[in-house]
Amino acid sequence: MESTTANIPSWIGVAASATLVLIAVVISWRERLGLGREVAVAAARALAQLALVGALLLFVFDRGGLPTAFAWLAIMVVIAGHVAGGRARGIPRARVHAWWGIGVAVASTMGILLALGTIDAVPRVVIPVGGMVVSTAMVTAGLGLQRTADAVDDQRARIEARLALGLAPREAFLEPYRTAMRTALLPAVDTTKVVGLISLPGAMTGLILAGVDPWDAIRYQIVVMYMLLGAAFMAAVLSARLAQRSLFDDADRLVRAAPAS
Amino acid sequence: MPHTDGPAPELFTLDVVTFVAGGRPILDGVSDHIHEGHVTAIVGPSGSGKSTLLRMLNRLEEPTSGRISFRGTPLPELDVRSLRRRVGMVAQRPAMLTGRIDDEVRVGELALTDADVDELLTRVALDHIERDRHPADLSGGEQQRLALARALAVGPEVLLLDEPTSALDRKAAQSVDSVIAGLAGMGLSVVLVSHDLQRAAALTHDALVLDHGQLVDRGDPAHVTYLGGA
Repeated sequence: MESTTANIPSWIGVAASATLVLIAVVISWRERLGLGREVAVAAARALAQLALVGALLLFVFDRGGLPTAFAWLAIMVVIAGHVAGGRARGIPRARVHAWWGIGVAVASTMGILLALGTIDAVPRVVIPVGGMVVSTAMVTAGLGLQRTADAVDDQRARIEARLALGLAPREAFLEPYRTAMRTALLPAVDTTKVVGLISLPGAMTGLILAGVDPWDAIRYQIVVMYMLLGAAFMAAVLSARLAQRSLFDDADRLVRAAPAS
Repeated sequence: MPHTDGPAPELFTLDVVTFVAGGRPILDGVSDHIHEGHVTAIVGPSGSGKSTLLRMLNRLEEPTSGRISFRGTPLPELDVRSLRRRVGMVAQRPAMLTGRIDDEVRVGELALTDADVDELLTRVALDHIERDRHPADLSGGEQQRLALARALAVGPEVLLLDEPTSALDRKAAQSVDSVIAGLAGMGLSVVLVSHDLQRAAALTHDALVLDHGQLVDRGDPAHVTYLGGA
């Protein structure tokens, strides 16, 4: 290879790397971890999913325009909301809250970055950058909803003690809500704190592998970190606030958690 | 208002109140009155529905059917937050919500002056406690009395007490009982839930005896029939 672009593995190289999966399967078998089958399935799924995504991206980049890219993001938001909302047993309509939280976070973050011209409005940029936003929003919204659901279980007596004093649900729920939000958001803050020190983040790694100058790569990464921080806060807070509204009925009563299925 | 002569006005009116949870009847067609200025005990063995009935009086639970009125107005027609300020409640093991005694008294009423806080703590015999202590460090009886002060802070017309002394040792229980008796003596209406009629009898004017969700007897605590255990 003469270009500055790194040597991208050929399909033969990919096949060769499957040796490493084989090593994982052998270890699982030798140590009787009972994970061999799962490892094989996971590796096969990764191959199939990425091949499908690669083909789709190729099509969208070549033929589809910006609307296709946004449609792609919308589908990601739907899937992410489904996953994040599924974590919150006991919260009525949790998936709807997650969809709103993630959807608004993604739309605002991408809207700001595009409006300010920080990133290019082309599918090749919108899809991967949006994907990072969706994924972070999904994790924090899911964690926030899960912690909110836990608070309903663990802190029912404290919440009802406040309701019994005539406080509004929002006031009665403030303490568990804040604890839930801190727990959900601290990982995002910590990741931002240690970026570059402990891990070289994905976007930057990708750019460097693709032959981009590190000084240029870090600028991209800084934008990515800042946008993820904003998206995390928007997604967690909005979905938890919506969840809180559905946790109380019209007589300011805390709903009963549905029995775990 | 202390009740003097003649029949005391009705504070709560229960009209065929039924509560079903998980297909099982917890309360089954309970009809009765709770009088103003009285200390009323709802007694019965565990699982008889007495705590559920108490929680209905400030709408922490809603009857499946039937109706509960407060001073003649059906509960759903009253603004629930103002109802809960008029009908105070203290749980069996009240949760401490703040990190200081004076903050704890102010949870429901932020605008209380220091003098108001002092007066409330005096009413529950906690005037000797330093205001900056952590409520969680108090003994069970002191926490129970602090929760009473917190409930009194919003100026309720009636107090609902769920087994106020069952989690306490004898001495602590007596301290709580004497505070309740003092409040009742000043004319505050009290509805308390207890599995122990003998204990409650010294404090109360009326007893409602529940068994398996049904009202099986009511009247003077010295004369009602209650076969439940202590």
